[in-house]
Amino acid sequence: MTLPIKKACGLTAALLASVALASAASAQGFDWMAHKGETITFLANNNPVATAILKYKDDFEKKTGITLKVDSYQEQQMRQRLLTVLNAHSDEVDVFMTLPSREGRQFAAAGWYQDLKPYTGDQTVSPDYDFGGLGKALVDAAVFDGTLTGIPLNIEGPLLYYRTDLFEKCGVDAPKSIEDIQKAAEKIKGCSDASNVTPFASRGLKPALPYTFSNFLHNEGGEYMKDGKSALCSDAGKKALSTYANLLKDYGPPGVVNYSFYQLTSLYRAGRAAMSFQSSNEFPSVMEGGERLKDTGIMPLPAGAGGSHPTTIGWAMAVSKYSAHPETAWYFVQWATSPKMQAKLALEGIAPPRAAAAEDADYKAWLAEEPVRQKWQEALQTLASDGTSEVGYPIVQNPESREYIGQAVDDILLGTADVDQACANADQQLNALIERE
Amino acid sequence: MARTLSPRGQLLGLSAPALVFTVVMIAFPFGYTLWLSLQSFTATGMTRFEGLGNYGRMVSDGQFWNGLTVTFYLYFLSLALQLFFGTVLALLLFRAKKLPGIVRSLFISPFMMPPVVAGMMWLVILDPSLGAANFILTSLGLPPSTWLASPGLVVPTLALIDSWQWSPYVALIVLGGLQALPPSVYEAAEIDGASGWKVLWRITLPLLLPTLATATILRSVDLLRFFDLIYITTQGGPANASTTLNIYGFRTGFEFFQLGYASALMVTLSVIVLGAVLILNRMRDAVAW
Repeated sequence: MTLPIKKACGLTAALLASVALASAASAQGFDWMAHKGETITFLANNNPVATAILKYKDDFEKKTGITLKVDSYQEQQMRQRLLTVLNAHSDEVDVFMTLPSREGRQFAAAGWYQDLKPYTGDQTVSPDYDFGGLGKALVDAAVFDGTLTGIPLNIEGPLLYYRTDLFEKCGVDAPKSIEDIQKAAEKIKGCSDASNVTPFASRGLKPALPYTFSNFLHNEGGEYMKDGKSALCSDAGKKALSTYANLLKDYGPPGVVNYSFYQLTSLYRAGRAAMSFQSSNEFPSVMEGGERLKDTGIMPLPAGAGGSHPTTIGWAMAVSKYSAHPETAWYFVQWATSPKMQAKLALEGIAPPRAAAAEDADYKAWLAEEPVRQKWQEALQTLASDGTSEVGYPIVQNPESREYIGQAVDDILLGTADVDQACANADQQLNALIERE
Repeated sequence: MARTLSPRGQLLGLSAPALVFTVVMIAFPFGYTLWLSLQSFTATGMTRFEGLGNYGRMVSDGQFWNGLTVTFYLYFLSLALQLFFGTVLALLLFRAKKLPGIVRSLFISPFMMPPVVAGMMWLVILDPSLGAANFILTSLGLPPSTWLASPGLVVPTLALIDSWQWSPYVALIVLGGLQALPPSVYEAAEIDGASGWKVLWRITLPLLLPTLATATILRSVDLLRFFDLIYITTQGGPANASTTLNIYGFRTGFEFFQLGYASALMVTLSVIVLGAVLILNRMRDAVAW
């Protein structure tokens, strides 16, 4: 089961402390050129994180003498390739990007990850690496059955972006609860200053929406599984399903059922949405062009009946179990997740998984340039301290579980089922999935 | 003195490349898929021999029947539109012989565009909030549409996009057929005083039937395996309304990692495609002249 991030901190503290001590003792013999002349292949997801890292590819090659071959795909195509390569036990890929909250349990159970724990504690650690400085909760979220499957690259989660100018014109206060979102949306819908603006937008595309829906579920006090069974039909589950689906149905943009990050960003950036619940990762894209820099507020999803439990996940860098050069691959992982690199990435809007990066002078100056950046950073700090990484069911077949969650929301959204039917159908399929596991 | 191969040796030598290609690129992948379809995979890659279990599972799988229905709905609708528009375009191009080459090339250019690019382009145009299509509709005083986001409209919309892209391809085939029609028949029709409409219905279209049958076969193979455009625009949604058998098989295999069941779905689809081609081939023979 995925632990709430706050609780998980303690579990990893001992591991991190011992690793940090061991590294300090052994790092003196570290040599960045130890694998000079070798070649490794990096399977990258063509997202802002990888794009920002690969801008510095030449620096890595110069620093280490290692040749980095990059295989870059969109997220789904990357997974397709990864599954094929790993299932064939091929050494074609040495390093890859992974989402522990999605495929971590599955890949770990299949034994496809190289355990990185031993690498963080021996002579292959640079003196300035500071493994202990990585967000403990994110490190813990990447540990499955004692195996450290990846090193965090970023921290992210869905955040509520809202138009402060429209809220002011329409006399709406920033929401303090999920109920307030509905009230704000209703008021904006009837506000003449916000005509042609969608009151509320979030993901509606079936496989993509569990990322945003999970926050509603947890804030309403729900959980995906209880006593080994699917719990979407619990009171909290039904409340979350109907609240999320009805917000989209009553106040969402036309065609929201096909909405993922791309449409949400386009809509909000174009000034056509008053509230958009979408990924913190999209912040640079949302602010592109500068039109939303001065009129946007950002906050985690307001609390529901069950409190505030933001969804917090992150991409991680992993080494394939079948890599012919795991030590060399680790050098790349170490370089990409080093304090120096993560401080550079932070300046490009990649939220750093290291608390120290937030204290970096350049980063602070960048934040200070625009109040909205500061708001974004504050929201990220809340994600880091209060978040949970449960997106979909905590089972090996997590990706398939997302399909049924998405179907339940879309059934209500499209009016093909009421909440009781939708959750019952989903529970039936999810229980079968759990049983199959 | 150079040795000459026996006729049998020459036959083997000359056909070897084609034979190797067929085995490596067609027979082996299909045989391997067939073997996979008899296995059961866990999410962690473990396999177990399942026999015909995966095929039995299809019968009670609502998603399979939905996929089959969507596949055929999209197939018949797209095929009808493409044959119609392709023939109309070919007749126009055939008559407009003085049309500059660049204009003719523009007419037939959509099918040269990669489907992914076409999909992205139409995704932007048909966006219900920001797209040009709804802007035009509302500018004309017409109600906006949800296009790809409506369970009822998604298949017709996909069929229209595919027809925009592939009708010119059908037109090229039909144009070739038109140019090969015997002029003597038209001369006889002219002497008999047949109207243009009668010539079209009684002479041109019947004589074009073998060409249209060829176009039907070529498009059928593609349409029954419809994938890229759906994957880019809707990923099978909303609510499985555009989940063809191909999309369902892909998601089952590569997103849910049930490679055995996905292989069984793909073998079934291959049989359907093969069956359709065989039937259409028979029909083409029947209309040959």
